[in-house]
Amino acid sequence: MPAPAIAITDLTKRYGDSGPLAVDGVSLTVEPGSVIGFLGPNGAGKTTTIKILAGLLSATSGTASLGGFDVVRQRASAMAQFGAVLEGSRNVYWTLSSWQNLIYFGRLKGLRRSAAAARAERLLTDLGLWERRHEKVGGFSRGMQQKVAIAAALIADPAIILLDEPTLGLDVAATRTVKDLIRALARDEGKTILLTTHQLDVVEELCDRVAVIREGRFVTDLPTGTLLSQFRKHDHYEIRVEARTEPVVLPDGFTAARGDEDTVITGQVQDGDDLYALIESLRGQGLPLRSLAQIQPNLEAVFLSLVEEPARG
Amino acid sequence: MAKHFAAAPGAGIRTGTTVLAAEVRKGLANQLAHPLGHIVTLAISVMMYLGLQYVMGQGDMRDDLLPATLIAIGAYWFLQYSGQVMVADLIEEKRSGTFAAALMSPAPPWVAMCGRLVTATVFALPIAVLASLVPALAVGIEIPWRWSALVPYLLLAANILAFTFLMAAIAIRNPMTGALHSLLTSLVLMLNGAFMPLALYPEWMAAAARLLPTTLAIEAINLVLFEGGSLASVWSGGTLPLLIAHTAVLAALGAWLFRRNRRLAIAEGRVGQY
Repeated sequence: MPAPAIAITDLTKRYGDSGPLAVDGVSLTVEPGSVIGFLGPNGAGKTTTIKILAGLLSATSGTASLGGFDVVRQRASAMAQFGAVLEGSRNVYWTLSSWQNLIYFGRLKGLRRSAAAARAERLLTDLGLWERRHEKVGGFSRGMQQKVAIAAALIADPAIILLDEPTLGLDVAATRTVKDLIRALARDEGKTILLTTHQLDVVEELCDRVAVIREGRFVTDLPTGTLLSQFRKHDHYEIRVEARTEPVVLPDGFTAARGDEDTVITGQVQDGDDLYALIESLRGQGLPLRSLAQIQPNLEAVFLSLVEEPARG
Repeated sequence: MAKHFAAAPGAGIRTGTTVLAAEVRKGLANQLAHPLGHIVTLAISVMMYLGLQYVMGQGDMRDDLLPATLIAIGAYWFLQYSGQVMVADLIEEKRSGTFAAALMSPAPPWVAMCGRLVTATVFALPIAVLASLVPALAVGIEIPWRWSALVPYLLLAANILAFTFLMAAIAIRNPMTGALHSLLTSLVLMLNGAFMPLALYPEWMAAAARLLPTTLAIEAINLVLFEGGSLASVWSGGTLPLLIAHTAVLAALGAWLFRRNRRLAIAEGRVGQY
């Protein structure tokens, strides 16, 4: 049985002697080939955990390993397992060209120059940067710079990719490019990806699994589908009827919001009879039914409900 | 599915040399990204030196002062440019975040530092030679050569690199090291003999100057080249032992601070960025 791609056991990090616990006894196992969304509000412990995995920060206690190699005791082997794009960081040299950057980062991971050059050519071609490979990265757009940063993380063809806010500050088109790239890495190349982002639609679309951290502790760690289904409210409905100026009479617990064309009615029913009774009532008020749908929570709603729950004592 | 690999036996040395070479290549490319800046600096350095000597000679170029001061100004530029590669670039990289990216390598962290040290040497040495050669050719300064001067010349380079390494080790945790480095290099420029030979300074000022990098080495070079001293006499006179001790202390302090600051920076989460 292969070692987990990422394994964190009872990881704790306290900054300073008396500072708060940034990470508080976190454990996580990520199987090879999976894409995990690592979510949490600012200051929850995401970047701290990623920095520990990347060997840039020491843990107060606990262990972290990449590809079965402990990031402290087997540092050299662990460092060979991953590529990373760090949050709020330039990641690549703006004074160098994308070609020079990729060769440098490839060599930094121990690749021979010929291997680094071959891989760089493929990555730059795939990312549409080949024609501009000799231009300084400092002159690129933010999206192109981020593409180079991701390419630098991929130059040694690592099995594990740590992406900390890879779409931060990108416009819609650049975000789409990065999303497509992550999807291809996961589905076509079987990479293990740990992704943190505040763009939850990206996580919902790409991640097999979601772990939410708050105040240094995991509040959930489930497959994305399971997490969403747990929060699915089977008894909550959205009913659209034709917009009217007269007020709509509704049972307790229902609200109506009038738009230009539709009035949107939302609320909770006890059972099917309640629902039929409501529809009958609306018909009785002369309001033609436009649509009826069960309310499906998105990841954003789930995330907010998880991180806004009262803190544990 | 992507596979995981352990570092192969023997891969450590190969990876180390690969990373070292990559670091040097990147460092040089980084420095040469804006060549005009270096050309302007070099032109200013030549004019500054010649102007300085004109003022010190009270309207005349004094042949008795020029050779010794030229060696000192060359040493200053070696120190200045080593610092630019090792200290200023390190601080800039930590501020921008590329330093963190460079640390995620299978090679031990000191390999990248060695790469920077090699880059500092490879880049700063030609600049120092050029900054000395141009005024030498311009006003016809002749510096005699004796093979025994090679020892203090090599010790001068070691002294400068040890000081630069110490500054870089401090810069791992402290972004204000750039200001400290600028202050110290300015003191070196004033006191190492680039204005006038150290023998012309008051005794207390010469004693203080000997604590700074380059001064003792320049003194040793002057003794060998201009006063006909042998290495044995420079040793017995105390300059060489003091120079070796000075260099060793700087290097040892640098190594100790590098280990300490790296350990603390990793604990504080500031190893990659301030």
